[in-house]
Parts: sequence; C-alpha cells; structure tokens
Amino acid sequence: MITFSENKLKEAQRIINRYPQGKQKSALLPLLHLAQDEFGGWLDVPAMDYIASLLNIEPIEVYEVATFYSMYNLKPVGRHVFEVCQTGPCMLRGSDQIIDYIKQRLQINVGETTPDGMFTLKTVECLGACGYAPMMQLGKTFREHLNEEKVDQIIEECRSKAARNN
Amino acid sequence: MPKIFIDNTSYEVKAGKNVLEACLTLGFDLPYFCWHPAMGSVGACRQCAVKVYKDENDTSGKIIMSCMEGVRDGMHLSIDDKAAKAFREQVIEWLMTNHPHDCPVCDEGGSCHLQDMTVMTGHDYRRYDYKKRTYVNQYLGPFIHHEMNRCIQCYRCVRFYKDYAGGKDLNVFAAHNHVYFGREKDGTLESPFSGNLAEVCPTGVFTDKTLRQHYTRKWDLTSAPSVCQHCSVGCNTIAGERYGGLRNIVNRYNAEVNGYFLCDRGRFGYEFVNSENRITKPQVMHQAVDENALMHHLETVLTNHSLIGIGSPRASMESNFALLDLVGKENFFCGVYNEEMMLERRITDILDSGKIPVASLKQIEDADAVVILGEDIWNTAPMMALAVRQSVMKTGGREATEKTPMPEWHELAVKELQQNTKGFMVNVTVTETSLDEIASLNINAAPDDIARLGFAIANHIHPSLELKNFEEAVLAKAKTIADELLKCSNPVIITGTSCYNDPVLRAAFDIAAALKAAGKAPAIAFVVPECNSMGLAMMRGHAFDTAVRRVNREPNVTAVILEQDLYRNLPAGIVDEFLSKCRNIIVLDSLNNATTEKAHVLIPASTFAEGDGTLISYEGRAQRYYQVYVPDNKYIRESWKWLSRMKMIISGKANGHDPHHDSVISSLETALRQFAGISAAAPSSGFSIHGEQIPREPHRYSGRTAMLANRNVSEPKPVADGDSPLSFTMEGYQGTPPSSAIPFFWKPGWNSPQAVNKYQQEIGGDLIGGNPGVRLFVKSSGNMPEFFKDYPEHFRERQNKWLLLPQSHVFGSDELSVYSAGIAGRSPEPYMGLSPVDAKMLDVTEGSQVTIKSEKEEYSFPVKIVESLRNGIVLVSKGLPGTQGMSWGNWVELAK
Amino acid sequence: MQHLTNRAKPVDRKPMTALEKLYLWNIAKGMWITLKHIFKRKATINFPEQRREFSPVFRGLQVLNRDAEGRENCTACGLCAVACPAEAITMEAAERQPGEEHLYREEKYAAKYEINMLRCIFCGLCEEACPKDAVYLSETFAPSNYQRKGFIYGKEDLLIPHPKLEPEAYQQALGTRAKRQEKASSN
Repeated sequence: MITFSENKLKEAQRIINRYPQGKQKSALLPLLHLAQDEFGGWLDVPAMDYIASLLNIEPIEVYEVATFYSMYNLKPVGRHVFEVCQTGPCMLRGSDQIIDYIKQRLQINVGETTPDGMFTLKTVECLGACGYAPMMQLGKTFREHLNEEKVDQIIEECRSKAARNN
Repeated sequence: MPKIFIDNTSYEVKAGKNVLEACLTLGFDLPYFCWHPAMGSVGACRQCAVKVYKDENDTSGKIIMSCMEGVRDGMHLSIDDKAAKAFREQVIEWLMTNHPHDCPVCDEGGSCHLQDMTVMTGHDYRRYDYKKRTYVNQYLGPFIHHEMNRCIQCYRCVRFYKDYAGGKDLNVFAAHNHVYFGREKDGTLESPFSGNLAEVCPTGVFTDKTLRQHYTRKWDLTSAPSVCQHCSVGCNTIAGERYGGLRNIVNRYNAEVNGYFLCDRGRFGYEFVNSENRITKPQVMHQAVDENALMHHLETVLTNHSLIGIGSPRASMESNFALLDLVGKENFFCGVYNEEMMLERRITDILDSGKIPVASLKQIEDADAVVILGEDIWNTAPMMALAVRQSVMKTGGREATEKTPMPEWHELAVKELQQNTKGFMVNVTVTETSLDEIASLNINAAPDDIARLGFAIANHIHPSLELKNFEEAVLAKAKTIADELLKCSNPVIITGTSCYNDPVLRAAFDIAAALKAAGKAPAIAFVVPECNSMGLAMMRGHAFDTAVRRVNREPNVTAVILEQDLYRNLPAGIVDEFLSKCRNIIVLDSLNNATTEKAHVLIPASTFAEGDGTLISYEGRAQRYYQVYVPDNKYIRESWKWLSRMKMIISGKANGHDPHHDSVISSLETALRQFAGISAAAPSSGFSIHGEQIPREPHRYSGRTAMLANRNVSEPKPVADGDSPLSFTMEGYQGTPPSSAIPFFWKPGWNSPQAVNKYQQEIGGDLIGGNPGVRLFVKSSGNMPEFFKDYPEHFRERQNKWLLLPQSHVFGSDELSVYSAGIAGRSPEPYMGLSPVDAKMLDVTEGSQVTIKSEKEEYSFPVKIVESLRNGIVLVSKGLPGTQGMSWGNWVELAK
Repeated sequence: MQHLTNRAKPVDRKPMTALEKLYLWNIAKGMWITLKHIFKRKATINFPEQRREFSPVFRGLQVLNRDAEGRENCTACGLCAVACPAEAITMEAAERQPGEEHLYREEKYAAKYEINMLRCIFCGLCEEACPKDAVYLSETFAPSNYQRKGFIYGKEDLLIPHPKLEPEAYQQALGTRAKRQEKASSN
C-alpha cells in the first residue's frame, strides 16, 4: 500500500485539522493536490483510496471529486504539462492555433504525452488570465501572450532545464 | 390561499408550494426533468422555465425556473409565453444533442419521460450535427441495466440513490459534457432500493433488467392493480402480463403507503409466478387427475371426516375465510406455533383497542422522532426503513430551517442549511443494522433487555411502575431517550415479531402510551412476518399446537392446508407427526414444496397475478389485489374458489359454478365483525362508469387479433371478469378510475410513470378519490391507555444454551421472492452469528461449522462472528435453505 | 314527421303517358349502352395467363428486411404492431447475445414475429411506422391456402432471403424495390 512520507503526512494532518469535526471531507481537494505532488504527478486508484482512508470516507466520494476537476490527472503525465486555456477570450485570441501548433511541434494530441515522457498537452477552461490571452499554465506559472515563437521558446526552455537536471 | 395569474387567468393555489407544483396541480402540462415530487427541486435541468411578470402592467417579464420559485399571492406568470416556450424547446434540444435516439431498442420507449417532454416542448428536428459522445456502460447487477449514452444529466439517480435512499455505491463522475453516473467499477448495486432508479430516471439509462429478459412495451401489457406479497408493509404495485407470463412489477402510487417507491424484493420478486415449480394439475395421491375425478375424490374425503383447516399468513383474506367457512371456526388453525401466535394476538389486541393509532408509512415519514425496538426493519420491511430515513432527514431539515425559513421543496438549500443535522431516531436492535448510520443512538441488546429499556423509557416519560434491579447505565440511556422524545410532538414507535419476545411489544406500547399521557400524538407500528399475517391474526384461529393435539386425539381427520409450507415455519418433527396423524391431507398451493409433497390431494392455487384477493398490511389496511390475467391452465384458480366448491360439495349444493368475489367478501364481513368495512377496499364487481368497465389494457394495446392466432385462428370472446370492475380488454372507461382500481398510469401526453401527477389531488398528495385501502383498526378510544406493568428480568446467559434468534435478509428470507434468479443470487449463504466471546468459548472461528440442537432437529452452519451481538444469543439467517423449521425464540444447544 | 334535412327533392308523381308506358325509348336507350360496350376495351384480363401490371404503390405481402450483410433489421420495437389498425401483428423481443452480431443488426431482435394475414388489410401503416426499414409491403399477393392457420405468417415466412447466401432468391424477393429506391434517392 502506498503512504505519504512522514513530512507529507504531517502536512496532511495539518490540512485535515483546519476543518471542524465531522467535516473532514472538506480537506479532500488540498489532500488530492498533495497526493498528486507526492505520487508522480497523477492520481491512481490506490492513491485515491489512500486519501479516502485518511479522511474516513468512501473511495467513491474521492473518485467523484477527482474526476470532476481538470487539475487532477488520472493518467500518468509528462514532466511538463501544458494546460492551454481554450475558453472564449483565449479562443478569440487564437488559442486554437496555439494548440494546433503544440500538437504539431510535439507530435501528440490533446491529452497525450510525448514518448520521452517530457510533455503532456491538456486543454483547460478559463484560468482567469483573459487579459493576457492566449495563455497556458505550465507547472505553477502562467505563460501569457502566446504565439508560435513563444511556444518554441518554452519547449526549448523545458528541454534545457531537463538536460541540466539530468 | 394565494391567488396567482397564469396567462391572465386567476387560480387559487396552496401556499408553500413552488410554481411548477402549482401549475401541475392545476393540470397544466409543464415539462420538467430534475424535479421529483418526493425529492424536491434543485433547478438543474432548466426545463420548467416560465415567464414571471412584476405586475399586471409588466409586459416584458423575465424567465425563471418554475421549480425554484415559490408561489406568491398576486403572482403573474405565463406558461404559453413565446420566449418561455422557445427557451424550453432549446433546453431540450441541447439535452438531446448527445442522446442516441435509440428508442426502438430502448426498454423505456413508450413509457419514457424524455419522449413525453420532447413532444410536449415541440422539439422535433436535430440541428446539431456533430459526433455524439459515447460512454462505456457498466454491469450493475441482476436488477438494473445500464445504458449511459441515453443520459440527459438530470442527477435524479444519484439524488435518489444517495440522498433519498442512503446508497453509497452510485455516484456521479467527471464534469462538463462527459458526466458519468454509475459505480466506481462494474458490480451489483448494493442498495435494496436500486430498482427505483428505473422509474426515477426520466429516460432509459437505468432500466429493469428482469423485464428486459422477457421484454414487452408498456402499451402491450395487460396490467392490474396489485399489492406486494413479500412483506407485511403492503406496498401498492402494478403487475403487467403478456403471453401468459408476468412481465414486470412497477410502483402504484399510494400517498399513505409506498408513495413513489418500492424495494427490490417487491419489484423483482415476481418471477415465482412464472416458475417451473408451479403446481399445474390437481393431484390425488400424486397422480394428476381431471376436475371431475378431483371433485369426486373430494366428496369422499370431505364428507364423513371431521375437517380441520390450516390458514395461511400469505394467502388472501378471501381464501382464509373460505377455509374458515368450510371447516368451521373452531376447526380453523394457523400454521404457527403458540408463542408466535400470542405475539400476533398481542399486536391485534393493542391495535384493536384503538388506544394508540397505528402509523402508516406516510406518518412514519412525517414523524419527528422514531424509536425502533428490536426489529431489523431494513430487512423485514425495507420500505418502512426508507420511511424512517425520510423522517430522520426531514426532521433534521425542519430543525435547520427553523432559523432560516426555507420552503421544504428547496432541496439543495435545505441540505446546505441542514448539514449533518438529523432528526431523533433510536435504533434498539439485537445486532447492528443498516439503519444504524442515521440513528442518533444505537443500542444492541438481548430481547429482554430491549424490553427493559423500553419500559424504562416509558417510565421516565410517565412514571407508571416501580423499576427494580435496573442498571444505572440503562436508566441513564432511557432518560436521554425519554427527554428527547418529550421534545417531539408526533413520535412513532416501531417494533415487530422478529425478537419473538412479548415484553418487547408491550414495552413499545408502553412508550407510546406514556407519550400519549404526556400530551403527545404518538403512533405505533408492528412489523409482522408475512403479507397477510395481520389478517390471519385478526381471524383469531387457534395455534398449530392445538391442531397437533387435535389429530392426536381424533383419528378421522381431513386436514385442509392453505398456501403454506408448514415445514418452513415449524419443526419438521412436529409437522411430520401432524401429517402422519391426518387421515387425509388436502393442500392448496401455487408452488411445490415440502408440504405439498405430503399431500394426498393437491390442488393448484393461483398466485396474486392470477387471482383476486385482499391482504391486510401491518397497519390493518385492507388492500385489494386484482387478477392480472387469466392463465391458460384452467385448473389454476384462487384458493377461495376451490374452497367454496368444497363447501358446496359438503352442503350438496354443487352447481359447477364458482362463487363471486363480492359474495365471499360480504359473507366475511357478516361472519367476522372485526372485518367490517373490508368490502370498501375496492369497488364491487358490478361497478362501472357510464356503463363501462375499467380496461386492463391501454388503448394502444397491440396484436389483439394476432397474439393467440397461432393457436386458434377464430378469435375467442374476451374473458369476462365476474370478480372485479376491470375488464380483460382495451375497451372501457378511459378516464380516471377509482383510486383502488388503477391498472396503469396514463394520460394523454404522459406515457411514463410520471403520469401519476394527473391522478393526484395535488402533486405529491393523495390520489383523486382518496388513497387505496381501508384501515380496519379505526375505532379510537379517548380513554387513557393502560400500561403493561410486568417487565421481564434482565437477560441472563445460560450454561451451554443459546437463545436462537432470526437474522432476516432483504434478499433470501422471503419464501416466494427467491424464485427470482436475481434475488436468489443476492441472498447470502446460510450462517450462524455468534458473539466474539461465545465464539471463543466454543473455540470456533469465522467459517467453522457448528451444529445447533433444538428439541428434535439439528442444523449445521458456518459461524460468522458478529461483534455487536450480546453473549448468549445465536443468530441464524432466516428463511435461507437449510434454516426451515427453526424454533426461533427458543433456547438451543450448540456443538462443534 | 319533420324533415330531417332541408334538401328534400319534390318527386314528380304525374301519371305516365301511353307512349311512355310502352318503354320503347327506355329499352332502346339501355340497349345502346350495352352495344357501346362491345366496342370498348375489356375491363377484365385472362388471369393467370395474363397478369396486370401493379401500380408503383401497390401493397402486397409484408417482408421482413435484412441489411446488405444479411442481418435482420427488425429490433422488435413494436411500432408496427401499435400502428396496425387491424391489430394483426404481434412480436416478442429478445436481446442479441455476443456472437450473434452477424444475425441481427441491433442489440434487440424479434424472437417471434407473427402477422395474421386474415386480419391484415394491407394498409401499409406498419411500413410507415417502422423506424428501421425492417418491414415493407412487397408486390406479391398473400397466396391462397387450404387452412386458416396457414395465414398466420411467422418470421420464417416473412423474412427476406439472405442476400449473401441466397443472392438470387434475395433479388427476386426484392423485386422492383431496389430499382425504385435507387430512383427515389437519385431524384
């Protein structure tokens, strides 16, 4: 069975303690994020069952939530996840072209990961940065005013970062 | 009463309702999906839009969802407004973008709410020409078929399954246009109320899998109003037939009993009617004979012998009375032991005294506190458990909305305010039950201790006796419960015969009596084992012990055994002794069983589907079930018809004709005064509207001239029904029939079960003409009830002896429903429950075989360790194969 | 008695003259009509040597259709039966089992499908109601039979021959329907 490391477990306990007795289920979202960070960037069924056991709820209640939000990955993802916004304003500013360009550059479709496990392309709904459209989220940062050059740049950046780390 | 204006016409409506309910009550056709009268409004589907105007001068108005708006005095609204109509049409258009339009293969087709609403809004042309999203379906067990592509995301299924019925294994996943309703993975839906999904779902996502195995369109069914045969609650059902086989059971609305829902045992337990094990021909000495030979033989065995009759708790009142009439009152016995008999007699005595009213399911739902004493109603009366759940939830909702007023129908808002607030419910049972999770207090105790707790509660509310030797802990618990009960106004006390313990019944009565003395309006409900146990108990026949003594005393006895397997309820040794002493044994039953094997004369009896009858439910409600179809086999007739023939043989008045139902019921009324009024349970056979009978078949019924043509090209005259105002054809009165004789719910434009709206006085309220059934315990006496004073001693474990108690199971404990493959598949393996301490003492572990020794019998089962069980008790799964004839409530020995 | 309509036509009751009583004129008039018909085209044909050409909308015996791969089209939805004014169609549905995909086109099929031809009035409403093009009225008459029960047509009587296994019989059963459909689709 998978478990959190001791540190993460403490963190989890701290999150759970934020909520009053009987409302532990409220800690579900942050715990899922925690688990996603801890267990390789995505949530498999044992990980979700583990969260259910931490919160003392039925596993099905965790699946319900995890499948609802696009922030939780239910399949393995690459090291870098491009989450391109495709809601109205971004679409008007050309998010479709950006998505097509990324598809073509990386030779993958939406929802897929490159064979080297480097990149995953996802489309998401509004990320609240309509003023900087078209944009995407990469890790914990927004990449704004995207165009083809910028995308190339970002891909290069990621590759070089990966090369450095290896 | 507020006055509202709909399209400039004024109407008086009931305050506190939402606009949708008000419009539907007034008879307007307004489409809806997510709203359900039993589950309230959530405003999810956007289908019931109407336009509301500020005042009479406002011409622009605004579109609102009628289910989310309460009625206000002077409200102006428009249903026919162009914009509102266009809105509704558009909503259904996009709900339908992904719908597969596979009505020809869909089981729901022809009784589909989505079809009705699509036609109602006028959407008829698909403009969206992109690919439809598709899903993978799940296997959901033997009862429910899953076809997710048809889903229109109304959320009714999870709202019913999770919120209303407390199920845990159905949920909604994902978001946007790929929302998925199902289980986490393939598997059986565990809730015993899962069958309701088929009716709750407005389209064909969840459909009845048993119907699918012998599929027939709703419009092709010959159906009749019926009453469930599988427990004592007496839920109203509609049974449908085609080609001589029973095809399905659906809910028949009765506001006071089952409302909109049924349990799975009742819905899917009908297959015994189509069973291979049916008795099809009369037999004399195990030889099939024709009717003449049978009558001839009956003449010899009925005359010149003294007759005794064994009445049945699962046969109709008519049949039991016909038997009593045949053998005479003093020779009429019940197929139960004296101990059980005394319990049932206690119950009828209490109810008959009229001191405490008996609670209908509706009253249980509306109760503000519930005390359950010693009955696992989840398993013995599932629909009552569902009602208790509603009471707990609704009371919690009421408490929560005291501070922030919120109409009851505003479901999500009420839930949000309510959070975890629940109404007061105490569940005192022998072992843990499925209702524990919603109970405010769970207590597991031995029957005598349950009774003692009950007496202590009663004494706290209204000191009436001196309590001696009561533990402090029990008194403290009793005080908490009593204090809570004193805060309530209409509590309900539920108990039953499952404990085989008379003091429990008396204690339940004492609590109710004490509450009455304290100025409350309590009601009481006694769960009894079978569908007509209450009726049989009211007949006050003698116990089986007396019958055994009688045959031991008298040599020349002909016993007439009515529709029951004696070996099931009584120890085999006793039954063997009884049967061997009888000179002649005449058995009437529909299915072969151990008793019918011993019959010298075996007569095929009809089941509920092939005959008429009246059952008396736990609340003393006499309810009529009607013959659904005429079986091809002419020997299959109601027992009361056969028995009346026998009576004619004895009296020498045989004329070859069967008596009519009306005459049997009226002689029952005159012969046994306690049944006065039972004839009002249904209109008499002569009843007609404008000279027309009520058709069992909808006017769209197809294949009339072709169905039987392969057998005989000449079309026979339709069979006349001499016993009821229903006809076996599609011709007849097309309007709303009397509430107790509704063979199907249909109104123009309303083909789905939702047509019931048009049969109600107000939405979710009583049926037009009152709810079906007559309550026989009606006389109420103003006198203060007298308390029972004799409480039992504290339960003591005995040396090497265990108290044998039954553990019931929704699926498996009922004799007839296990003929359905799905129900048999879900019934557990027989087992024996022991407390951990007892198991250790006997040196057994989970799964080891242990033998139970009662007086004459020996049974062996694998052990299951039940943590919540008290020491000194052994629980055995009731009704499962190998558990027949156990002497429940007795002390038995255990051996490894 | 009151008149039931106001369209009552007064009848001339004046007695006939002697000439009229001879009926000569009227007899001649009648003979003339007979004579005229001798030179007209015959209304009858010499059946069965001669056969009449059917109108393109002629409605004959029902056929249960298969698709091009020979799978039965009928899903036993029951719409033909409910549309039938003579109530002459009855069927029982069954579920297609895995492995039967080559037999039935959709997930349900008619395990039993019977038409009582004694009752059928060949109105074609079944064909009109069918959402799956599974039943249509062909150009053949229901043949005569010595026994009444011979007119109860089951699936084996109604199903069109398999297009792949018996292509000739299939083409024959299809008759001019294929051509007509082609024509209709090209228009």
